[in-house]
Amino acid sequence: MKFNFNLKNLSLNLLVLIAAFIIIFPIFWIFLMSLKSSAQVMEWPPIFIFEPTLDNYKVLFDISEAGTSNYGTIRINFFEPILNSVIISGGAVLVSLIIGIPAGYILARSNFKFKEDIGFFILGFRFAPLILVIIPMFYFFTKLGIKDTYFGMIWVYQVITLPMIIWLTRVYVEDIPIELEEAAFVDGASVLQVIYKIILPLLRPGLVGASLLVFLLAWHNFALGLLLASKKAPVTVALLKLLNPGINFYPVMACGLVISMIVPILLIFLGQKHFVKGLTFGAVK
Amino acid sequence: MFKESSEKSLKNFLILPSVLVLLCFLFVFFYGVYLSFTDLKLGKPTVNFAGLKNYIYLWKNPLFWKSTKLTIYFTLVAVFVQAFLGILLAKLFSTKVFFAKIFRPIILLPLVLPPMSVALMWTTMMNPERGVLNYFLGLLGIESFMWISQYSTAMLSVIFIDVWTYTPFFTLIIYAGLLGVNQEMKEAAQEAGAGAWTTFWKIELPFMMPYVLIAAVFRIIESFNQFDIFIGTTGGGPAKATTVYSIYAYIQSFQNLNFGRGTAILFVNWWLVLIGALITIKLYQIARKRVS
Repeated sequence: MKFNFNLKNLSLNLLVLIAAFIIIFPIFWIFLMSLKSSAQVMEWPPIFIFEPTLDNYKVLFDISEAGTSNYGTIRINFFEPILNSVIISGGAVLVSLIIGIPAGYILARSNFKFKEDIGFFILGFRFAPLILVIIPMFYFFTKLGIKDTYFGMIWVYQVITLPMIIWLTRVYVEDIPIELEEAAFVDGASVLQVIYKIILPLLRPGLVGASLLVFLLAWHNFALGLLLASKKAPVTVALLKLLNPGINFYPVMACGLVISMIVPILLIFLGQKHFVKGLTFGAVK
Repeated sequence: MFKESSEKSLKNFLILPSVLVLLCFLFVFFYGVYLSFTDLKLGKPTVNFAGLKNYIYLWKNPLFWKSTKLTIYFTLVAVFVQAFLGILLAKLFSTKVFFAKIFRPIILLPLVLPPMSVALMWTTMMNPERGVLNYFLGLLGIESFMWISQYSTAMLSVIFIDVWTYTPFFTLIIYAGLLGVNQEMKEAAQEAGAGAWTTFWKIELPFMMPYVLIAAVFRIIESFNQFDIFIGTTGGGPAKATTVYSIYAYIQSFQNLNFGRGTAILFVNWWLVLIGALITIKLYQIARKRVS
């Protein structure tokens, strides 16, 4: 009986290890690849132990001197797409917070005609096929001349960030007891004062988590940047271009992949708790 | 008194900026639907109403039907496998064994990476000549193959990548659900003589089902619209083996510059998404009734 129990324990541990290996290995492998030279990446069988080099990162950020890399005349300045992603995703989250928090508050606390319809309309965006919006958006962006601008990109990213911020604010506000606000209203505070002075401080932990998650979803986006921007394109679009030169260029692409992955991994360390709630729009608490 | 009531109704207007921004997107969506009934081509000066012309073109086009099959096949297989593995992983990681506790946080990992990065990551590993996956197959004594670069295996390879990425989504949600399974209920069942297997089938699985189906709704919607992983791996090839709706619409719109046809494909896709989601929501309601 005792032996049986141990055998079960052992095999469960083994299964967990296999699952963990399948999850971690690809990421680890890409990290290794980013430290290989282009000759090392061509070796067969693939090598696991080698002298690491940071040259690929230099090539990626275009700081190696002309002729010092093995990649000839390919010029990539990866700072630009990183900056674009930060500005677009960060800007989109900021705009969503400014207009979305009051909206979420009203949805949680006010009663008026069509309130639930508006709430449902906002929730529906979680189910909207983004790509059906992109084609007509391309047409409008061309006509309005806002293609490839931060303004246009931050605006169009609202389709990802705004519904999430509104909905999560609503879920969080509903968890706050209403008495505090009622006392403030009796003292003559205005709605905006109540939102900024009373609700916001209480919401801060939740909102920080929600903002991180929403930033992450914006960081993920590829299709909007591919079709509506070129110079202002985000990291995900820049990465795809690194695939074209072929296998001996894989290490440089791997550097880009590592950078595109490190940002979200850091973010979830900060906001892990809010992840499940956010991903399911509060359907699972 | 007047001031108070006017402020009360006034404050509801705080919702207006958000609603206006979102209404713009709704308008763009409907404009897209309208475009599917026109002959809009980029570079062509005039736009004419074309009725059902784009839809009739698609109806008569074998590639459209192939694409329909591929889209539905991709979604169904990927979501089923993810649900199955998601349940297994959730069970595995909810056991109290040593490594389960240590490695629990890493379940999140695939989900937080950009899908495009995930796609490119696997593209390098699936390389037919230098990919590390073929090396592992070799170690196991299995002959290497072409993964995403060959007609017969391309779709399955992309499904494999999708499964790696989104199985954790099921796991996370089911795991949250498992925490709610009443321990006493389980013990009572076991004392009544039910084995671990029966307890799982009769008590745990029905309890889990609503969570599985909620996750499935999200995944069905996103799988029908999956674009990044296809672009980052096969781009719809080889020989159209992975040309799902999103890729087909992309090619029609931005390579053939035929926006009318592109939007028509996506409008059909939208209906499929709606039907798929509604069926799953119906199942969810049935599963919940059974539990309560």
